[in-house]
Amino acid sequence: MTDLLDSLLGGLALGAVYALVALGFVVIFKASGVLNFAHGSLLLFGGYLVAVLHDDLGFAGALALAVLVTAALAGALDRFLLQRGGHDAHSAHVQTIVTIGIDIVLLTELARRIGGDLLTLGDPWGDAVTELGPVTVADSRLAAIAVSAVVIAGVFALFRFTPWGLSLRAAAEDTEAAALMGVHLGRVRAGAWCLAGALAALAAVFLAAFPAPGLERTTGQIALNAFPAAILGGLASPTGALAGSLVIGLTEALVVGYQSELHMLGDGFGDVAPYAVMLLVLLVRPNGLFGAKGAARV
Amino acid sequence: MSDRIRALLTRRRATLLTVAVLLCLPPFYLDAFWLRIGLFSMAAAIGAIGLALLSGTAGQLSLGHAFFLAVGAYGYTWLAGDPGPGLPTALAVPLAVLMAGLAGGLFSPVAGRVKGIYLGIATLALVFLGHHVLLTAESVTGGFNGRSVPPLSLGGFTFDADRELTVLGVPFGAEERLWFLGLALFALTWFTARGLLRSRPGRALAALRDSETAAAVMGVDVARHRSAAFVVSSMYAGLAGVLLALAFRRVVPDYFGLVLSVDYLAMIVIGGLGSVAGATAGAVFVTALPLLMTRYADQLPLVAAPGSAEGAVGPTEAARYLYGAAIVLVLLYAPDGLHGLARRARDRLRRRRTPTTVPDTAVPSPPPPAAAARPKEHTP
Amino acid sequence: MNDRTTEARADATRTTKTHAGGTSTTAPPELAVRDITVRFAGLTALDGVSFTVAPGSVHALIGPNGAGKSTCFNVLSGLCRPASGAVTLGGTELTRLAPHRIAALGVARTFQNIVTTQGTVADNLMLGRHALTRAGFTASALRLPGARREQREHLARAREIAELTGLGAHFDSPVGLLSYGDRKRVELARALCLEPRVLLLDEPVAGMNAAERARTAEVVAELRAELGLSVVLVEHDMGLVMRLADEVTVLDFGRPIAHGTPDEVRRDPEVLRAYLGTDATDATGEDAA
Repeated sequence: MTDLLDSLLGGLALGAVYALVALGFVVIFKASGVLNFAHGSLLLFGGYLVAVLHDDLGFAGALALAVLVTAALAGALDRFLLQRGGHDAHSAHVQTIVTIGIDIVLLTELARRIGGDLLTLGDPWGDAVTELGPVTVADSRLAAIAVSAVVIAGVFALFRFTPWGLSLRAAAEDTEAAALMGVHLGRVRAGAWCLAGALAALAAVFLAAFPAPGLERTTGQIALNAFPAAILGGLASPTGALAGSLVIGLTEALVVGYQSELHMLGDGFGDVAPYAVMLLVLLVRPNGLFGAKGAARV
Repeated sequence: MSDRIRALLTRRRATLLTVAVLLCLPPFYLDAFWLRIGLFSMAAAIGAIGLALLSGTAGQLSLGHAFFLAVGAYGYTWLAGDPGPGLPTALAVPLAVLMAGLAGGLFSPVAGRVKGIYLGIATLALVFLGHHVLLTAESVTGGFNGRSVPPLSLGGFTFDADRELTVLGVPFGAEERLWFLGLALFALTWFTARGLLRSRPGRALAALRDSETAAAVMGVDVARHRSAAFVVSSMYAGLAGVLLALAFRRVVPDYFGLVLSVDYLAMIVIGGLGSVAGATAGAVFVTALPLLMTRYADQLPLVAAPGSAEGAVGPTEAARYLYGAAIVLVLLYAPDGLHGLARRARDRLRRRRTPTTVPDTAVPSPPPPAAAARPKEHTP
Repeated sequence: MNDRTTEARADATRTTKTHAGGTSTTAPPELAVRDITVRFAGLTALDGVSFTVAPGSVHALIGPNGAGKSTCFNVLSGLCRPASGAVTLGGTELTRLAPHRIAALGVARTFQNIVTTQGTVADNLMLGRHALTRAGFTASALRLPGARREQREHLARAREIAELTGLGAHFDSPVGLLSYGDRKRVELARALCLEPRVLLLDEPVAGMNAAERARTAEVVAELRAELGLSVVLVEHDMGLVMRLADEVTVLDFGRPIAHGTPDEVRRDPEVLRAYLGTDATDATGEDAA
């Protein structure tokens, strides 16, 4: 029972972090129709900045700067590289492949700098734990849940109540019509990319915090698990991404928690469990669990 | 008129013959380093041509290519090896290719229904799950350390350095022998892929990419053709995997990761999506670049020798920067890649020779934006 | 591949022969649309539409923009599944068939906005032969003699159709380099390459100049006379509709409001109201778009 609670809490924390990543992914898709394959390396970039800056600026300062710089980088990549291609559906496909090129360059550079090291981010939680009734939870996990909940609520408010959010939704409905109604697509898009970059940098902190050993060059790849989460949610739906992230996070944590019972699936199946879930879901529903629009229309 | 056509035909045949003869020469003049570059390039070209059919022609993005390379490579090793049925190696090659095709076919419920860039994410699952299986199923795959690959033997002739063989005064080791095997398999790939592209299935796939609706109302079974493209591309990947396994003489799981899939995507993008010659050129570029940079690291500015101080830009990194940037630049500034550049250069040359009034066919017509390629009213 | 393809193939050969011999022996089957209703997210795009296309006739669907004409075509070609109603071709129910199955039965269509694929005119026309040919992946990859022969024969027929539609000179040109009118004609020719028994033309002359319009009208009239196929025509050019159509169905807001010969429809007060929003009496025969 304690094991189960432990796994559930762990899964919730993981799901909350995936939600930050998946939400960024969905926002970019809504605004530009692009699947951002460079999302993992943007996340790694944010984490790396925190790691090198926290000695001088303190954790909070480093995090703030990392979020800003990552947001700026993401926005700049869109504005100065991707947007050259235009805004129609065909261009979006080309730009998706461009993000793979960007990912190669960015990831190679970051992996070269990080090398085989494990970087600490100097976060305030360290390896502290809190007793919650029968279970012991790492403070970093509680922080992940709390921070993600606040930030995600903020992002949803941004969608609903700001002019930018309205423009974004309009652009996602019908690019052409939105442009005719005076929506400045370039700016809406770049804004979406900035937001996604900021979310990714924030997520990096929690992916590298205890109980993870620290930031390593493969941390970006963990963030790829948010792809299945976004796919489950149907790609264009923030709410779907949220639900998908929780499904993926819980699955992963439960598989890891019950590893001994699931030994026939092999060691480390937890790492790939999200993809197994995604495949199963796609087999039954090619549009994703909550997908009305987006993947696979035949 | 028919004389001219005949002249043209013989000229084409002569070119083909010349190219074939030239490709047979390297083993007699170049050392093993260059032959290995050639061999890896040929294997990569076979895989890249397969991916070009799927992603370039049919417009279905795949990041799962490494998985099918692995099925081919491990399939051959298992089928011909011990543990495994220990079949004759010559039989294991086609069976491994069929296995890769079968694996692609098993994925068809997804590959047939998920379209375009979305398939890219779905295929990520193949790479990660595949890698996990390679690590876990130790009795078949050898686990983390992989397995050694039994050399291919065809009617008593073995493609390794075991028994000494001298041809025209040149000692033929494994590289020299495998070169000809690679050449034969590459020729087969080239011949079949061009045949496909220029006939009924190829046209149907291109139509699917340009407008699914138009293809469907013209009688193309959309899901069936998407699945078939995936299977065909998997089989080419399987063949490439077999050749790579023979060249490496050992298969290890970590080689068949996401990075490899991305490499193949880089090849076809740099080469110019959808063309067999372009995929080949891209494959040579992406394969040879890191190997050449490693060899000549000491003579290149800004590049450190491999194994020097940590954090320095090694040849592998330098190569990855280059082709990562190449993807971005090609797609944004020259969408038809090396193939398009070559074609434009050729057309310019030809035009200089014979001034014509024919409109410039070199200008690639921009593909119709997918939005405009749909009937105006909503078709759910 | 399957029975229907074979059947369509046999029919196609028959049509081809008919075309060559000039004697019409087999009329196309009757196309009957019964009570079709289509809804998109709460919006009713088609509401109880019925009409029958008599074998070998030209049936026009007209109506203001957004009246549901293209949706109707999408139902006929299987791109859109109606909420209720039936479409039958001869004895075959079409609404449950996938688009490629309907194509194999000999129903071909063009699109309102041009939908050609990359490549040459020949490539596009050969796509039209897809349902009539059978070379598969293996045969094509290995360039087996059967596949090559088939390709040669059908290329010859595609060239004939290109000549018929006035595209002979452009047969090997990339479609992207053709003029607007020619590209529109590529669509028509591609549909004809299916050797259709029923041809659905969605605004075949939209955006064309007068000469091009006349030429296309001529082609459609010729086709119908020579091949005896049924044509369903959506067009805003009333001159063309009046000249070509045997029967006209008028749609407004997804509902059929009138039906009859061009002359009857031209005098129908409902139709005038739909087009002009008034009881004007003398505005027919003009381009009502």
